[in-house]
Amino acid sequence: MSDMILYFIVQTGFVILAAPLVNGIIKKIKALSQKRTGAPVLQMYYDLFKLFKKTSVVSDVSSWIFRVTPYIVFATAVAAAMIVPVTTLIKPVWNTGDVILLVYILALGRFFMMLAALDTGSTFGGMGASREAMISALIEPSILVSLITVGLIAKSTAVFPIMTFMQTVQNPLIHPVYLMIFCALLIVIIAETSRIPVDDPSTHLELTMVHEAMLLEYSGRSLALMELAAAIKQLVFITLLVNLFLPHDQLIGIHGIAAIGISLLIYLAKVFIAALLIGIVEVNTVKLRLFSIPNLAALSFILSFIGFLQFFAFGG
Amino acid sequence: MLLVLKNIGEQNNLFLAAVMLYLIAAVFALALMKHHKLCNLVTNTICMAAALIGIAAAILRISTDTILTPVTIFESRITFLFLEIKIDQLSAFFVLCLSVLVLCVSIYSIGYNSHYYQKRNVGFFNFLYASFIMSMLMVIISGNAIFFYLSWEAMSLISYFLVIFESEHEENRRAGRLYIIMTHLGTAFLLIGFMIMFAYTQSFDMFGSSELIPEMAKNLMFICFLIGFGTKAGVIPLHIWLPYAHPAAPSNVSALMSGFMIKTAIYGLIRFVLCYLQVQQVWWGAVILCIGIVSAVLGVAYAIMEHNIKRLLAFHSVENIGIILIGLGVSFIAAAQNNDFLSGLALVAALLHTFNHALFKGGLFLGAGSLQYATHTKDIEKLGGLIHKMPVTAVMVLCFSLAISAIVPFNGFISEWLTYQALFLNINMGMAGQNILSILSIAALALSGALAAACFVKLFGISFLGLPRSDDAAQAKEVPLAMNIGMGILAALCLIIGVFPAVFVKLADQVAGSILGASVVETLQSGFMSATVPLAVSENSIAPAEILAALAVVILMVLLTLRLCFGKLKARKYGTWDCGFESINARMQYTATGFSKPIRIVLSILYRPGRKVVIEKGESDYFPKSVKYQVWTEPIFEKYLYNPVIRVLKSGSEKMICLVQTGSVHVYLLYIFISILALMFYNRVV
Repeated sequence: MSDMILYFIVQTGFVILAAPLVNGIIKKIKALSQKRTGAPVLQMYYDLFKLFKKTSVVSDVSSWIFRVTPYIVFATAVAAAMIVPVTTLIKPVWNTGDVILLVYILALGRFFMMLAALDTGSTFGGMGASREAMISALIEPSILVSLITVGLIAKSTAVFPIMTFMQTVQNPLIHPVYLMIFCALLIVIIAETSRIPVDDPSTHLELTMVHEAMLLEYSGRSLALMELAAAIKQLVFITLLVNLFLPHDQLIGIHGIAAIGISLLIYLAKVFIAALLIGIVEVNTVKLRLFSIPNLAALSFILSFIGFLQFFAFGG
Repeated sequence: MLLVLKNIGEQNNLFLAAVMLYLIAAVFALALMKHHKLCNLVTNTICMAAALIGIAAAILRISTDTILTPVTIFESRITFLFLEIKIDQLSAFFVLCLSVLVLCVSIYSIGYNSHYYQKRNVGFFNFLYASFIMSMLMVIISGNAIFFYLSWEAMSLISYFLVIFESEHEENRRAGRLYIIMTHLGTAFLLIGFMIMFAYTQSFDMFGSSELIPEMAKNLMFICFLIGFGTKAGVIPLHIWLPYAHPAAPSNVSALMSGFMIKTAIYGLIRFVLCYLQVQQVWWGAVILCIGIVSAVLGVAYAIMEHNIKRLLAFHSVENIGIILIGLGVSFIAAAQNNDFLSGLALVAALLHTFNHALFKGGLFLGAGSLQYATHTKDIEKLGGLIHKMPVTAVMVLCFSLAISAIVPFNGFISEWLTYQALFLNINMGMAGQNILSILSIAALALSGALAAACFVKLFGISFLGLPRSDDAAQAKEVPLAMNIGMGILAALCLIIGVFPAVFVKLADQVAGSILGASVVETLQSGFMSATVPLAVSENSIAPAEILAALAVVILMVLLTLRLCFGKLKARKYGTWDCGFESINARMQYTATGFSKPIRIVLSILYRPGRKVVIEKGESDYFPKSVKYQVWTEPIFEKYLYNPVIRVLKSGSEKMICLVQTGSVHVYLLYIFISILALMFYNRVV
């Protein structure tokens, strides 16, 4: 029972609280690389706090879909966070953490987000939803092929067994199979979290925006929930990436609460590295034209497919 | 109640009672032709009763293992020509599928048919409706190939009359023509298959053994059945009749056609290939898997480009048949390799998806019917804002949309998850071809799932959300209660199966177990029966009920926390952001064409889109009088596959007529002479 409570606290509380920090770090890296001081790392917390208090404006064209969507999107992000463990030292008590479920539960949130964008009758919303539909369709095959390939090696599709298995692999990234899949997943993450080169989180220009266009009509508390949900989703994907390909739990010799504490600290360090990586990618690339994204998605799919071929069709 | 029924002992009687009730319904429909309202009420009520009996009989049959004695309903002097009813658990499962759908559609029809009153022959329509259901039921419960063939033919012909019921439109007559040609093409192949069967075994018994048939003949039979049933199922490239016939039929009939009639082909494939021929070769499964992949991806890809709601749904039927075939293909591959567990699991996935598809696709066609009833259009570009006018319909269509996009926590996800698991287990070290095919199927499933979500966001978003795009949409009213009840039952079932899948998986497992001899559920970990226990395949498990509970808890916690920390939610109503210009109107919204444009461009190699812009110039170039924009996609299969074949056939037959019919009596006498010689020669040889 105590395990269960600990798992839920760490998986939800910890992830929800840490999620905005990642955005802060990425923004800081971008600012520093441009010789600016930039906003404080904790800026997103201040923004969220402010937005939660504000009155929201609701379009009079919209229906109940527009109003419930922020809660559904937030709930699916948190549910996804419950599926992807931040450390393998706490055993998840609910055994429903499946990679296929992870993808389809995020699809629920996305479905409602796209509907809400169309709900207000605003052209921006339609544009964002239409682009999001395209990008998600292109990226879905590669995310499932790469996660299932890792699952095949670990002989399970559930996230926790896969992660436990990866702890036993010495330096996964020197194996070509894992390297391919790591790269494929990195592209997936960039696309799923609406970052450069797929989407630009800091723009509000109708020519370029995708995710922001869908949120355009939101304000106040609803906006805060949507932003926080996006940050949680980003952290969930980063967690998946770092815990699969940079395993660390086998390095900790001891057991118990202390080990969990150490594990969480190392996890935070890894998240910091991943944020650094994403920040560097974001600084060094430009946003792609919308119709060049298929090439990027194809690259991701081919990487994951080659990873699969290497191991399962031709052995080792 | 159930126990009493069981004690009667003769479950066959229940099935026969259902058949008889449909017959009575058909007779009543004709008898009460003059009184439209009464006729509609009586016929549909009798159909509902028959469906309820069908559900009870099917559930009883699935849960008992006893072998029922076949019932002969017609005998003739010719030894093989007799009609016999034989019901095993597989038949019972499909009867269940049909009966659940018929129950809901009949309730819906009570309301829906009211727009035919005093305009059309409601009696004749209901006669066709009841006899169509009866013919489908007989296809499923027939015990030998002759009876199967006769019922199959009856089903095709009656559905043809239903397709052309609104025959005053030229397009409906064309659709009917295309449908009847295609369906007979398929039936011809079935007939060849049955003839090969008879040639070697001297019997039409499809429950018998196929040991006497040599290997080559079995391969040939498989190909005949594949083409024959494939045409009915609408697999690519034999799908071309489907997007014409389904929109042409009245909506309640399209719900039955798409929800169940195309599934009779799945029944046929399982019955004749898996049960009768006992899958001999791995390549049989591989071919079905390939067809499944192609149908799943291309079906949904074409659906996205459609803005006629019923054509869009028809293409989604192609997609879902593809998904069912992926499951069936894996099952066949594993059966050929004697892997009973995997074969059973894949078959469970395919059967469950068949059931699920009947529910949500039937529901979606009913939803399309409601939209047409309220707005008199099938074009989603003319709709919009209907969630305010038809709130109940909107909720139900949303449920079906989520279910068909395989989104948690609806039933589509459960069967797709099982299909994913079957594919996952189908990948083993070292078998390169099979592995590549399986991982491509996984990619295809993922792609079709995401594209389906895109498509249904378009369908729901454009037709129900935003501002109304036409006067008809602005003046729409909620449809009669009966229609909403019919859809509501289907929507509730979609959710129930999605949240508590274990019971339904168990049902499908008993059917698969009766075919393959091994139960999947027993070898799986943890008890399958109780609802809260997760679905588990090996160590992989999901528990949809827990997921739903988690989502609910999170939402409640968020509401509570925000309320406590930041006070009551403050919201102000205001217009949509219009960039400071004048207020937004309906024409400024995104259209369905616009919504699907990115996908049209990305997949332009598939669609070969074209466009035409006609500008009528005004006084100044900057103020044209009118601009017409037209965009279309090319139907590749019709243009490059069917049209050339039709052209060759047409010119060839014209030439043949000139050659054969010369008009000279001498030549005709020669023909007679040659025929007599040929017959005498044949008699000598045989």
